[in-house]
Amino acid sequence: MKNISKIIFLENFFKLILKIATLIIIVIFLLMFYSLFERSMPSLMENGFYILFGSSWDPNIKLFGGAPAILGTIISSAIAIAFAFPISLSIAIFYTEYCPLRVRPIISEIMNLLAAIPSVIYGIWGLWTISPIIKLNFQEPIIASIGFIPLFSGPAYGLSIFLASLILTIMITPIIASISMDIFLKTPILLKEAMFALGATKWEVLRHVVIPFARRGILAATILGLGRALGETMAVTMVIGNSYIWPFQSISLFSPATTITSKIASEFPESVIDLMHNSSLMSLALILLLFSISISFITKFIEKGVKYR
Amino acid sequence: MYKLRVNGLSAWFQNKQVLFDIHLEFPEKKVIAIIGPSGCGKTTFLRCLNRMHELTPGARVEGKVILDGKDIYSEMDAMEVRRKIGMVFQKPNPFPHMSIYDNVVAGLKLMGIRDRKILDGIVERKLKEVGLWDEVCNDLKRSGAQLSGGQQQRLCIARALATEPEVLLMDEPTSSLDPASSARVEALIRVLKNNTTIVIVTHNIQQAARISDFTAFIYNGKLIEYGETKEIFESPKDPLTEKYITGRFG
Repeated sequence: MKNISKIIFLENFFKLILKIATLIIIVIFLLMFYSLFERSMPSLMENGFYILFGSSWDPNIKLFGGAPAILGTIISSAIAIAFAFPISLSIAIFYTEYCPLRVRPIISEIMNLLAAIPSVIYGIWGLWTISPIIKLNFQEPIIASIGFIPLFSGPAYGLSIFLASLILTIMITPIIASISMDIFLKTPILLKEAMFALGATKWEVLRHVVIPFARRGILAATILGLGRALGETMAVTMVIGNSYIWPFQSISLFSPATTITSKIASEFPESVIDLMHNSSLMSLALILLLFSISISFITKFIEKGVKYR
Repeated sequence: MYKLRVNGLSAWFQNKQVLFDIHLEFPEKKVIAIIGPSGCGKTTFLRCLNRMHELTPGARVEGKVILDGKDIYSEMDAMEVRRKIGMVFQKPNPFPHMSIYDNVVAGLKLMGIRDRKILDGIVERKLKEVGLWDEVCNDLKRSGAQLSGGQQQRLCIARALATEPEVLLMDEPTSSLDPASSARVEALIRVLKNNTTIVIVTHNIQQAARISDFTAFIYNGKLIEYGETKEIFESPKDPLTEKYITGRFG
């Protein structure tokens, strides 16, 4: 016979541990938010909205405009999602509906491996291998043919917001694809068969059963990919060219640019001696954090709205 | 006049053979019951009749299934086969993301019928046919998943009937229903056979006796006996059949 009071004590003790663990996470989040805010304050007070909308960044003359970095983050992530979304869905649909059973494990293993590769490796690969290839075989021919359109004008540097978007695409595709695969596989087989039994083709089953069912999950997977793209630092820093000319001096996608994360990563060491410089980088970090938070709020909002159909 | 003729049908899951050289003929506008113990292959047999078996990865079929003189495997497209040979499943499976209305017309929409008036007419007619109209006519926009189990199954029957199939396959359609709902489905089957050939798999021997004109007894993937239901139940030729229908195994 076990001692009842001892069991109750253990039960309460266990509950307490769970509560503490949860509390720690909440406290860490609030502390992080607070300290970012506190460190951003000097710059926010001094520069105000210039940190959001200003186009120049020169610590020597105390100019801290974050717009190029903020836009760089938004645009590179947006392009990456625009590329990665259809590619990922195609992979997931092929995997669940058309791929022979024997090949499936190979594909899912490759997806997992790709998702697990450290970002610095993507960065090095993008910098040394992809950049010259893209420059020679993509950027130069395009600039030569439709370079009169400002969005595709020269010169071709290789390192550019376009290359960063491309590397981000490659990084987030396995994430979105592998989650989508799992979601597609969870479609109730009974419902797929019901649709087949009505004379539907594979495509019609996908359209009328699989995709309506997976909609929320695909949205969640895409948001996860977007989060990764927004926050990615190392790989982007290595391939984006870290230049402040985009988009105000050159709007071309082949122009080198920067993002919030690469700005912070590349300037943080030198900024520690300059309070305003440091605080301005912190403000950018705060903006990025607010981005991430609002994205997850928007997701919740959309998820509520998007029921089936 | 035979509606459907099964000629040397064998089926496999991966390397495991589950049906062995089955020969059968289904007369038109009759109810044919397929009986046999669990796992004997009766559901697989049914799924071979409208090419659903091949949807299972690794599944394979050999032999012929001839619908009105045409082999459904070599002379017809799978989608065409499934339009002519409808199916009702063991578990009611209305599309939960569609309304009652959209469930009924799902097959018609696949065929490209979009005329609202035509669809409205078919929805009303089919729901009346399955005895669901009075219960749901005021909220056709409601999700099909909100109905009771018996109502869901009748909705699924209406969905299968909407495209006017010539043959209706039913895989233990009443096994997940309460007795009252089962009785309604059975009554429905008796009416449906005026226009349709019905093949019903059932593990309920009394049900087979009640509703079918012909009965096939399958055991371990082999057809043991096939004939008029009356004969099968009153004077079975094979001792295995007799054992099964008298409830001594299975």
